[in-house]
Amino acid sequence: MKLKTILAASVATSIGIGALAHTGATGIVLERMQAMSAMGDAIKSVTPIMKGEQNYDADTVRKAAAVFKEHSGTAMTELFPEDNANEKSYVKDAIWEDWGEFERLAMRLETLAQGLSKAADNGLADEEATQADMGSMMGGDTASMMGGDASGMTGGDSAETTLAEMAEMPADEVFADLSRTCSTCHTRFRAEKD
Amino acid sequence: MRKLLITAAVFSAAAIAGVGAVIAWPVKNEVGSIELTGDPQRGAYLARAGGCIACHTNWEEGGKALAGGAPLKTEFGTFFPSNLTMSKEEGIGDWSVQEFAAAVRQGVSANGEPYYPAFPYPFYSNLSDQDIADLWAAFQTVAAVDEPAPAHEVGFPFDQRWGLKLWRGAFLEAPRTKPVEGRSETWNRGRWLVEGVTHCGACHTGRNFAGARVLDEKFRGYDGLPGGGKSPAITPGALQKGGWSVSDLAYALETGIMPDGDAFGGSMGEVVTYGTSFMTDADREAMAIYLLNEEQDG
Repeated sequence: MKLKTILAASVATSIGIGALAHTGATGIVLERMQAMSAMGDAIKSVTPIMKGEQNYDADTVRKAAAVFKEHSGTAMTELFPEDNANEKSYVKDAIWEDWGEFERLAMRLETLAQGLSKAADNGLADEEATQADMGSMMGGDTASMMGGDASGMTGGDSAETTLAEMAEMPADEVFADLSRTCSTCHTRFRAEKD
Repeated sequence: MRKLLITAAVFSAAAIAGVGAVIAWPVKNEVGSIELTGDPQRGAYLARAGGCIACHTNWEEGGKALAGGAPLKTEFGTFFPSNLTMSKEEGIGDWSVQEFAAAVRQGVSANGEPYYPAFPYPFYSNLSDQDIADLWAAFQTVAAVDEPAPAHEVGFPFDQRWGLKLWRGAFLEAPRTKPVEGRSETWNRGRWLVEGVTHCGACHTGRNFAGARVLDEKFRGYDGLPGGGKSPAITPGALQKGGWSVSDLAYALETGIMPDGDAFGGSMGEVVTYGTSFMTDADREAMAIYLLNEEQDG
């Protein structure tokens, strides 16, 4: 029953932190849910901006970036101690079996959060430039796309953008990268909802 | 008694002959010569969108591109996506473009053996000769990796590949990718992608006892995915009920972000990371418009 309550609670990411306290989750699992929930709210606050459906506002972007920064890096990894492995939650054992990868993703999120803050004043990519860019990413250097350099082809990890590069990038591109980092980590380490 | 024995003997002889006939049944249709010049950039785009790269690369283990993917655990056994690099011994380096076309569009290997439908070839069967030529040109650029992908671990009776010929006869249908008159170009582009190349139905449509998609349950979600995963319904009604707009869906295919602020996990996270995030905004929007069955721009 308790598990069900917890599950139901995290399905509804939109519910407030106050409400989370009533779900029966306690201690570190509750802290985790609060952190994830805070980041989910931050995502929602900037998504309409990033999609170009709301006027661009650098302060809102910086505020969201601060939330991601606060809950990433070691603040994130500290919430998943191995002695907590038996507690009921959505976490997969893979997180402790592949701790290095989890750590890497948590640190990557922190870097991207810093990068988003630095990129906040750059605004959105202008559409034509983006499409030209997509063209070169998908085309241009096909040799590196399909073959040899697998990571370049995937936009993947060893071709990671640096903080300095992010500072020069449109905010929506940094945000998209950050979002996919959330997704990658969920895919690897989060059990999916029923 | 003697009569009974004779009858039994006749039946078993017929059964054996029947199986023999199935084993000998050639399922491959000859592919005419394909002499079009391929565009490797367009091919790489299709290989991304089609999941070739996602599925045939073992990302978690840091595997080389297209050298063989992570195992797919299913109720029929464990399938190992094959090595699609240009290795002549272990990959597809010694194939002709015709053999490649038969593999992708018909699901039949160079030596006439049918593939397991874990490989979503039924979605690719309407790809044009130009699509095939483009893909083939892109695969030419993949560095050879001379290591074989592991053999599938499939128990009896599913290890009897001739059974797949019966499966094909019973369940194989061409995908519904042909343009529908009266619908917009964008909607039809979305249809071509969703029903074909990006093969959404491979995970979002339920499967029967034989692992074949149940077309009456198209896009209604499925809880028997490889590895025990579940997929939600993505019919227009289900998506609308879940609060998805065209722009939400297109954005999710780019970033993994859902309308509630959560980010995809499960295999959909991989689809985005290794597939749809590489597509153009226009194509993602076309997919969203088709899935939601809308016409206006998001």
